[in-house]
Amino acid sequence: MTESIYWNPVLETMPREKIRELQLKKFRKIFQWAYDRSKFHRKLYDDAGITPRDIRSFEDIRRVPTVEKSMMRDIQGKDPFPYGDALCVPLEEVTIFRQTSGTTGQPVYQPDTWQDWEWWMECWSYILWAQGYRPRDRVFIPFGYNIFVAFWAGHYAAEKIGCEVIPGGVLDTKARILKIQELRATAMMGTPTYILGMAETARTKMDIDPSQLTIGRITCAGECGASIPSTKKRLEDAWNAKVFDHAGATEIGAWSFECTEQPGGMHVNEALFLVEIEDVETGEIIENPGRRGKMIITALDRQAQPCVRFDSKDVIEWAAEPCACGRTARLIKGGVVGRADDITKVKGVLLAPSAIEEVVRSVDGLGDEYEVIVDKVGDAERIQLKVEVLDEEPNQDQCRLIETELADQLRLKTNLRYDIEIFGCETLPRYEVKAKRFKDLRKSKEDK
Amino acid sequence: MDPRIDLNKIDAKIKLMKQAAEELNQIGENFPALARNTVRILASVKMLEINVSDLVELDS
Repeated sequence: MTESIYWNPVLETMPREKIRELQLKKFRKIFQWAYDRSKFHRKLYDDAGITPRDIRSFEDIRRVPTVEKSMMRDIQGKDPFPYGDALCVPLEEVTIFRQTSGTTGQPVYQPDTWQDWEWWMECWSYILWAQGYRPRDRVFIPFGYNIFVAFWAGHYAAEKIGCEVIPGGVLDTKARILKIQELRATAMMGTPTYILGMAETARTKMDIDPSQLTIGRITCAGECGASIPSTKKRLEDAWNAKVFDHAGATEIGAWSFECTEQPGGMHVNEALFLVEIEDVETGEIIENPGRRGKMIITALDRQAQPCVRFDSKDVIEWAAEPCACGRTARLIKGGVVGRADDITKVKGVLLAPSAIEEVVRSVDGLGDEYEVIVDKVGDAERIQLKVEVLDEEPNQDQCRLIETELADQLRLKTNLRYDIEIFGCETLPRYEVKAKRFKDLRKSKEDK
Repeated sequence: MDPRIDLNKIDAKIKLMKQAAEELNQIGENFPALARNTVRILASVKMLEINVSDLVELDS
């Protein structure tokens, strides 16, 4: 008997109209659940004049107010402590605490019941199976097992599907690389930043070529990188492995994944999540490919602190073509291409930081790290771009060539000019988890 | 879909599992090992419902 390429051969291949029918039914259920059990959600919906009885179609769903992260921050720290009024189960049923990473401000607490945690693992099981993880894999998890959800669910999902899992928790980067080598791990998970950093450490500090190790597949999350073609190529070349992207969030769940076909986008797990794309200017829901918007998402089965029409700020776009893998869930083109609150206007032009990364990582002779600083000097706005070459002492001729190529490509890609500074290798900051490479100093000046 | 997959049959077995786990959970009031392990079993059963029963319910 041949092995199924799908974790769930029924849900993952069912006709689109059936998926939509299932989503509508499940949305009504989770909306009713939140309305009945969460004071926060009930007030939100009552104020908007909408009750569970009003939800009969997808058009009705669009009338349901969205929830923003700042709203969750506001209700927390109160009873039932520390989660506040959005908690839908008795406190004693909460078995796991997590919090968001705080990348965009004060972290948000996330309570989960054991059932919710099983659900997290289930979401990740879909991801890992689609990316080719099988019981024969030995999976190394190089992250700092702590209050952030990060790869916790990836760990337990890998166990669930039958893999052997090696928790690389408190080990430092060198010890992790040695453990991968010693145990011949076949797969691992990490942020693109950290996976690239590991490769650099192996090469420059340990005289180990990571492409000669046994890692054959890598699942990335936490940053856009693994969907940015030039970054994906660097990751794949460094480790001689297939690199897959996945997107998820603490307050949402693991909602999308790249499959082994690598179609230039990620599948939304539409049996478990309802994803809507909203035009940032008009608020209109975008149904067709070709237009980007921000994601509004509902986790259809998460119960302790429901995620109903959460305004994730992730910028995505529907892909036009279905995937050759046979999954019927829709694809988002190019993965998560940025965050609505990261996309900023500089000199009157919209700039997405991921576009800069795409260019920097495509230029030969440059290292993986870079830094972008947007500033205002007098009335003029300027963008500083700091990059590294691979040598300690940059060669002036080589630097001039790189600068010219970078400037040309960036102008083509972003329609903006940059003040480019080139440094020797290992000059710029290194990051362990999520990188902070984009700094907008205009905001701090306005605040003063 | 693989014709050998009979969702109704699978769903019927899921329901039996759920019923058994719920009954064990109820008699586990003074038997923590029974109560807490069945909570975990019920969470796994819920995943089976998400994977199968919710779809069967849609057709019924």
